[in-house]
Amino acid sequence: MNFKQRILKTMQHEEPDRVPVMGLILDPATTNRVLGKESFNLAAMLQSGELDDATLKALQSDETWNQTYLSTVSDSLESAARLGFDANWVIYSYMQLQPDPQTSLGWVWHDPYGRVWEIGSDNHGNTTTNYARGLCTTPQKWEAWVESKREVFDRMIDSVRAFHIDVVEKFGDRIYPIGYAAPGVFENCWQPMGFPEFTRLMYQDPEFVHRIVAFHTELYLRFINAVMDSGVEVVLGGDDVGQKTGPLVRPAMIEKFFGNSYREISQCVHDRGRTLIWHSCGNIYQFLDMYVDWGIDGIITMEPTAGMELKKVREQIGHKLVLIGNLDITRLLVSGSKEEVEQAVKKAIADAGPGGGYVLSACHSHSEVDPERLKWMIDAAHRFGQYPLSLPAN
Amino acid sequence: MSQEILQQIREQLLELDLDATVAAARQIVDQGDKKLAKSAVESLTQGLEIVGERFQSGEWFLNELVYAGEISREVLDLLSPLLETGDESTQDAIVVGTVAHDLHDLGKNIFGSFARSAGFRVIDLGVDIPVEQFVDAAREYQPIAVGLSCMLTPAAQGIESVVLAIREQEFSVPVRVIAGGAAVTQELVTSVGADAFAPDAVTGLNQIRAWGEQR
Ligand code: B12
Repeated sequence: MNFKQRILKTMQHEEPDRVPVMGLILDPATTNRVLGKESFNLAAMLQSGELDDATLKALQSDETWNQTYLSTVSDSLESAARLGFDANWVIYSYMQLQPDPQTSLGWVWHDPYGRVWEIGSDNHGNTTTNYARGLCTTPQKWEAWVESKREVFDRMIDSVRAFHIDVVEKFGDRIYPIGYAAPGVFENCWQPMGFPEFTRLMYQDPEFVHRIVAFHTELYLRFINAVMDSGVEVVLGGDDVGQKTGPLVRPAMIEKFFGNSYREISQCVHDRGRTLIWHSCGNIYQFLDMYVDWGIDGIITMEPTAGMELKKVREQIGHKLVLIGNLDITRLLVSGSKEEVEQAVKKAIADAGPGGGYVLSACHSHSEVDPERLKWMIDAAHRFGQYPLSLPAN
Repeated sequence: MSQEILQQIREQLLELDLDATVAAARQIVDQGDKKLAKSAVESLTQGLEIVGERFQSGEWFLNELVYAGEISREVLDLLSPLLETGDESTQDAIVVGTVAHDLHDLGKNIFGSFARSAGFRVIDLGVDIPVEQFVDAAREYQPIAVGLSCMLTPAAQGIESVVLAIREQEFSVPVRVIAGGAAVTQELVTSVGADAFAPDAVTGLNQIRAWGEQR
């Protein structure tokens, strides 16, 4: 059985030859360690003023962005394939470099939704890009912003399609690239405005909120359709609705404003005969039944340090959802011992593996996730994840 | 009549009805009654305490916590001309910030606005804050506590660095260090020698209040 058959069978809640393992590799810090590559630090270059005008101009073009982005993602897929993952998530984002005298660097990225992303570097000297604030703090500013970006949205969607087709062509015979339509509708609504501002609007101007949700749903459908144009059978979507101890926002409020949006998204994916896996960080027990109701086929993440346990999740929703994730990145995959990694793998497989429908993976990625520990995780999955499982159920 | 207004402020806050809470506060402003304005702040604080309890028990969510904070802020802004604005520097201070290399700010902001509504002077340093900046602020404001927010494991080293740097300083009053956020656990806090772990904003604020009373 190859990686693709293994993943697809798992999506049907059937037992393949063994529990598949998925990479959430994203950070250059991790890929560089696997590939033996040097770090690249754009923030330092911008800071030093060593870049001439021509280079700065080139950096502001779509072409340079798309090329650089594809090469970074190619590195992450290459390293995931070399480590032995069956699949890896693949996220396309689109941004434009903008001068910003408010920041010490003088430059930031803007995304077309209205977020500002700061350019920085991680502990290993690799460029990082992090959401910092929104540019559309009022409904008026938001309306004006999206009106001015219509053509940019069209270009973004074309780039999404081209990117995912490229990725599948380049890597599809070695690893299963699972394309992720991100950020989600809720995130695209609140992050360009700010959480307090958006919360206020949910109470004071629900009509506006319905309008902004409708706008982002339509755009999200175009985005996820463009991902599906690459031919992949499984796509990722999602929205962070959880935090460490529970929902970020009252679930009934999410249902009120976003429920139909999510239903439309899953309908669109199912109309094209594909499977929809959904991501949310944090503690999300209160959303599990809602996910099923919205038509979502599976979930990815299940953050253990936010209290998510595979066994409890299965008890709550049985095999109505495929489960992906749950290995800790706070300590285990950063500095845990080999024995601890093996124990965690065994436990995850025993809790969620029976009957198929479980893909082993880390719960997220960051720059300190250690490739050696990822390798231990994969090896342990190969050893203990053969079907029929012989692990004692915990 | 005035009892009714105070009750309305507390109850409408708990109903999350901004217009009704503000309308009640406006009556006080129209009357120009300074004593009543002071009592209104107390009613608001009582209301916020209940908000905090509901949030801690899981009955209320972040949206409710945030919105109650927003309503309180509007009411306080409205009443402020009638309130004896004492010297800002005598108000109990709390310094907050997200540690270096971490840009998550929701948790810090929520804690900050909650503490502000409860009458503390909050000095918010922002996100991605280097150790020196925490130390400088601690020296300048001599706060009850320096509150650290940390969501990322790669940034967690920052907590220990701040604790060590704060311990090296000499203050005339105790300056505690409290930390919260997704990457923080009780074990981590104990191992780096910080004074307390805040699993949520309300618990953190209660702890800081207790320290303030001991001062
Ligand atoms: C929203 C979010 C984001 C947003 C941030 C938006 C923003 N402006 O803050 C975005 C999408 C940008 C983001 C980015 C990233 N994120 Co993030 N994110 C989250 C998420 C889902 C929720 C965090 C949140 O805002 N919660 C809501 C607030 C209100 O809750 P809170 O922060 O816990 O705060 C409460 C308490 O903890 C406490 N508190 C917090 N701070 C303080 C301070 C004091 C003094 C006190 C008293 C109390 C207190 O009070 C608050 C209210 O009760 C968490 C999941 C989680 N488990 O929390 C992941 C999470 C924190 N992110 C994670 C990661 C890995 C990242 C990225 C590295 C992803 C990537 N590879 O690019 C980047 C890093 C960016 C950077 N350098 O900072 C991981 C971190 C794992 C780890 N152990 O390191 C988490 C845990 C998700 C996961 N699946 O593991 N993220």
